[in-house]
Parts: sequence; structure tokens; C-alpha cells
Amino acid sequence: MLLQINFKSGTPVYLQVVDQVKAAAAAGALQAGESLPSIRPLAEELRVNRNTIAKAYTELESQGVIETLPGKGCFLKPNHSPLKKEVRRKLLTEEIDQAVVKAHHLQVPAGEFLELVRERLEVMDEKRRASERSPRPA
Amino acid sequence: MKTDMNQAAIEIKALNYAYGRAEAVHDFNLTVPAGRCYGLLGRNGAGKTTVMKCLLNLLRPRGGTVRVLGLDPAKDEVEVKRRLAYVPDAVAFYPWMTVRETLDYLASFRAHWNREVERDLVGRFRLDAAQTTGALSKGQRTQVALIAAICPEPELLLLDEPTSGLDPIVRREFIETVIGAYQEGEPGRRTILVSTHLIAEFEGLIDEFTLMDRGRNVLTLGADQARERYQRIRARFPQAAPAVEFKGALDVRRNGRELELIANGGGPLILEQLRALAPESLTSEALTLEEVFVATLK
Repeated sequence: MLLQINFKSGTPVYLQVVDQVKAAAAAGALQAGESLPSIRPLAEELRVNRNTIAKAYTELESQGVIETLPGKGCFLKPNHSPLKKEVRRKLLTEEIDQAVVKAHHLQVPAGEFLELVRERLEVMDEKRRASERSPRPA
Repeated sequence: MKTDMNQAAIEIKALNYAYGRAEAVHDFNLTVPAGRCYGLLGRNGAGKTTVMKCLLNLLRPRGGTVRVLGLDPAKDEVEVKRRLAYVPDAVAFYPWMTVRETLDYLASFRAHWNREVERDLVGRFRLDAAQTTGALSKGQRTQVALIAAICPEPELLLLDEPTSGLDPIVRREFIETVIGAYQEGEPGRRTILVSTHLIAEFEGLIDEFTLMDRGRNVLTLGADQARERYQRIRARFPQAAPAVEFKGALDVRRNGRELELIANGGGPLILEQLRALAPESLTSEALTLEEVFVATLK
């Protein structure tokens, strides 16, 4: 899992970390039980404030995505969405709305947009299958 | 004496300072909460170093109050200096002393000195402990100064233009060290105040900043809030870009069918307004802190 911070996105830095860890989990780049980098090396690597990474990890923990084992570090939780279905749908709806607005700006018609979504789902699926076939060495 | 977690690490109120008749700092206010990495940003000559020197009691303010870790640096100079460390932009050591002797000499003034961190950083910077400091490059001298600032594990780290004149690799290592070695211990009790005009490289480190110009506080904002508030909006129209006024827009540029502007807080409204004009394309992106700096001071 390689994270990248984009200061031009307008999204708070800690939320970018949260979103990317979740995306990595969804794409299979990070698998249940796998450990996340600890706060210090990740902060150094991204050259962001240590507090920002700590805040992101706290957020991921409160969302039930990761768990902290004292003395061992942070790990991706299996089946990591304890949120109720409506809540999950609502969170996703907000993201979809953003994409829909963007599609409108870029003048991508609805049909083409839906086709693109299907295509991305397939790409993600393929990535997940590939990483399941060849688990990374620990 | 322990710092109260709610107490600001630095509290400056209505600070005034002048060099002779030349006013350097005017009615300047600054609050740096404990545990924060705070950026004091401004052009050369904006008054940043004067503020730093007032914190260290190297200059006596003409007016206003200065509190560092709850103490008055003019009255409790020793206690204040015991609890903070300072890295100036031009570092000077006794040139005949070796790196080893210099670090031992500086450690002798400190009640606490983390030898393990020292060993780790000397190795990381690939410094030769037997070399005299007079033979070091500017980058290496800054590295020695940073080691000397971090090893006492102070509650407050003051960095005054620390990376100006250094090469990119040394700058990177410097910032990584501040994040890694300094911020690691006791979160909430490690406060950083960094003054710089090299904003891009500190972008990720700074979580709140004050923009200073001609001795005055121009803007104080959280870094994330700033990037949310300042947006660069670009629109392209099928015909000539309409000559419409946009509320709260800075720096509006028109070029044929294209329009570019910087929104200060009114981004969503301006986007709405533009959308109604049926542009061919419409995009927006956040300004980096450096761009916020330029847009505000231009």
C-alpha cells in the first residue's frame, strides 16, 4: 500500500490517508490481518505532521477499519465495516454525488458515466483477484 | 514544572518592536497551542526573525506581552531557555571544536540529553564526529544544530528559516528528522514554531499558520481550512468569457474563451454562478499554502 498526498485536492490531509487506506482495503492492496505502517515511518515518508497520521489512524479505528494491538501496531480488521447498511449507503452516496457533479462538469453523459462505473468495478475486482492469487510475502 | 495541556505554548499579544525608527513588528498577535506544528510565514523582512528573537529575549519588545510556555522570557529567561531549543538560519560554532566536542559542549548546558537520539542522528546525517566544525559545509552545520536542538527533547522547538540555503537532500532529511525524531516523543508536549518563506517543503508539516507582512498578522488559519477556502477555478466557454463580477474573487484572469480566478471562501457560490453560464468545462482545485501566500500578499 503506497499512499500519496495531494495538497491541491482540497481534502484535509488526514482524510486523504483515511480514504486511501480504505481504497487499498477495497482493492485488496491491504488484506485483513495485514499490518499498516507505523505512524513515524509513514509520517516521515509522506513528510507530513505526525499528528496528521495519528488522527487518520484514530479515525480509521473509530470507523472499525483497523485495530490497534498494543505493542504490535495497527492491522486491517477482517470484514471491516461495522456500519449499518443505511450509513454505508449514505457515505457512498456523498461520494457518488461528487462524481456525478464532476461528470456533469466534464460533460460526460449519464450512459457513459454508468459504463465507466461498471468498468472501474471490474478493474477493482480484477486487482483483488490478482492479489488473492499471489499473496505478498510477509 | 509541567506544562498545562490547555496552556498555549506561545502567546503573543499586541507586540511592537522597532529598530530605531524602523518599525519591524506592529500590534502583532500570535497563539500557538501546545502540540502544534505552527508556521510563521512571510517574505524576507516581514518581521519573522524579530518575533523569534522576542521569544528568546534576544530583543526587548517596545510594547505588548510575550509568554512562552506560560512564562515571560524577560523575567524567566533561564527557565524558558531550558525548555526550548532554537535553530537559527545562520549557525555558528567554535570552528576549532570537533563535532563530538561541540555536541558535548552544548550538552553540558542541558539538564537532559538523549544520547541514543544523538548517536542515531549523527549516523543518519553521516557526520564525522572527529571533524572540526570549521570544516563542515553549511548543510552539515545545520545538521549539527538540529541534533543539538533535538537531543535535549525540549517542549518547544523554534526553527528560524532553518532550510534556507541548503540543498534539497539536506532539506528533506531536516524535515524528516523534525517529524520523526522530534515529534515522536510525548505527543501534545512537542510544539514546533517554524518561520519560513520556503513554504512548499513544509506544507505537510504545518498544521496551522500565520501569514505575516510588514510586521503585521495578515492571516491566521489552519492549513486544511486554507486549502479548503482558497480555490483556483477555471472555466472555458463556447464563446468569449463573460465579463461578470464574482464576489470574493481574487486575481481574475480572462483570456479569450477562458477564465481563471481564485476564490477566497466563496468557491461554491462562484462555481454555481459559472455553471449557470453554461461553460464547456469547469474545474476547481485547492491552492497550496505557497499559492495562498502569493495570492494574499500580491
